[in-house]
Amino acid sequence: VNQSRVGISGVGTSDFGRFPDDRVEALAWTAVTEAMDDAGLEPGDIDAAFVGSVFGAPGIANRVLAGVGLAGVPTYRIEAACASGTVALHEAYTAVASGRYQRVLAVGIEQLSTQFAGPIVPEATDPEGRAGLALPALYALQANRYLDTWAVEPEMLAHVAVKNKANGALNPRAHLSGRPPTLEEVLDSRPIAGPLTLLQCCPMSDGAAAAVVAPLRGRRDVEILSSAFVSGGLWNSSNADPWGLGSVRAAAQRAFAEAGLTPGDVHVLEVHDAFTIGEILTLEAIGLCAPGDGATLAATGQTSLAGPQPVNPSGGLLSRGHPLGATGLAQTAELVWQLRGVAGERQVDGAHIGLLETMGGGAAGVDGNACVVALLRGPTAVPESSAAHREEPA
Amino acid sequence: VAETIEVSDPRPMVSELQVLGSICENCGQTSAWRRPRCERCLGGTAPTRFGPGGIVWSSATVHLRVGHRPPPFTLAYVDLDGGPRVLARLQPDVELACGIRVQIVGTDEGDVVVSPFQDDEASL
Repeated sequence: VNQSRVGISGVGTSDFGRFPDDRVEALAWTAVTEAMDDAGLEPGDIDAAFVGSVFGAPGIANRVLAGVGLAGVPTYRIEAACASGTVALHEAYTAVASGRYQRVLAVGIEQLSTQFAGPIVPEATDPEGRAGLALPALYALQANRYLDTWAVEPEMLAHVAVKNKANGALNPRAHLSGRPPTLEEVLDSRPIAGPLTLLQCCPMSDGAAAAVVAPLRGRRDVEILSSAFVSGGLWNSSNADPWGLGSVRAAAQRAFAEAGLTPGDVHVLEVHDAFTIGEILTLEAIGLCAPGDGATLAATGQTSLAGPQPVNPSGGLLSRGHPLGATGLAQTAELVWQLRGVAGERQVDGAHIGLLETMGGGAAGVDGNACVVALLRGPTAVPESSAAHREEPA
Repeated sequence: VAETIEVSDPRPMVSELQVLGSICENCGQTSAWRRPRCERCLGGTAPTRFGPGGIVWSSATVHLRVGHRPPPFTLAYVDLDGGPRVLARLQPDVELACGIRVQIVGTDEGDVVVSPFQDDEASL
């Protein structure tokens, strides 16, 4: 499909947090406007829009676009659980690479504060949702399987939260950006499910994010080297692997093959860490380490901001928050800022190749509804010296 | 589960401490439901029953209220002997190591309930 080089020419996000008094559309207008300004485009320049949202009301995509001069643009709404925004980016990339459209807007949007009083209520039409499988429980089951298989102590999970929340403290748009907790505070926080304590679970957040995808042109564009999209196969008693691992592995292998890169070539990663165990399993599936070694990466500093392969410099879902549909494009925005060298205090030195991964699930017996892994390359010109990503594009 | 919405119950059905499932006559894939065709190969299936025995794939105690289940309650993925993996309530509410033998002991408001395996003959 990839006939021409495709890039991300602009990104934007809202702040992330609880905004129950705001219209959900207003969050997206902030993100889209920033992305359009960043790309230097006018509404008439956009050929199509892919909008990811899980719980957004019917018509949300059109209401969002109509508010920012984009009524009449062909609009596709995508639901792929936690990967909704990333699938929107993937579809935008595929549409541009194939020549179907020239300049495409990918948008992710979610307002959880007006949908749920507490955690996400499991889906009653799903066999496991009906049986009480709240998302923290799904991940807790994987965590206990992992701890049992590799004889890992639970505090190894907590190191992921300490790392990501330290990063999030440097992100002014993050939902949780206060003083990062210590390892003891993470472990001593309220038990939620299995070994997962409250501070090992992402907050319920509102937010939106957007990216403009177009043929590679500008000196600030971040190139999409590859993007792979996998929907999970059956996950049942023949699977020894934790849930979702196979899908992430398949997507990663395809993305690396298409880009001609290996895990060791990646300088910065934004991956799905809705729960601490998620980051560990994801990094193993991506191939950043051998199976069973994922739990050591945060604890040893390998994936910290100053380490050799920083993971989730934004603070990840654990700090930025997890407005489901928006998450993939919020991850994308962070990688674009990192690869442009404008990520401020949380800038990863020498970041030139970035990896994006989001996996979402919720259908019983399926190894993840959707997983996208994409590899991004920063501008080849000298990175901009600016220290703040909020400033106007040059 | 939202109090105001009624949907057809998608959970596995249990009768006489066994899950009413099916097995593919073509590839042998098992299912915890009576499905007309195989979920793997679309082959024809035969109705069969699984359980009561199985082993814990993983278990976790949940400290959140989920639907009618007050916290804490414990969930387990159980690989039924020769059969499918089902999500069950584990009673008592104590996490078990992976690989521990359990058996279906009944249902609780539609949830499959398992408990650690009791060897009745040995206890006689």
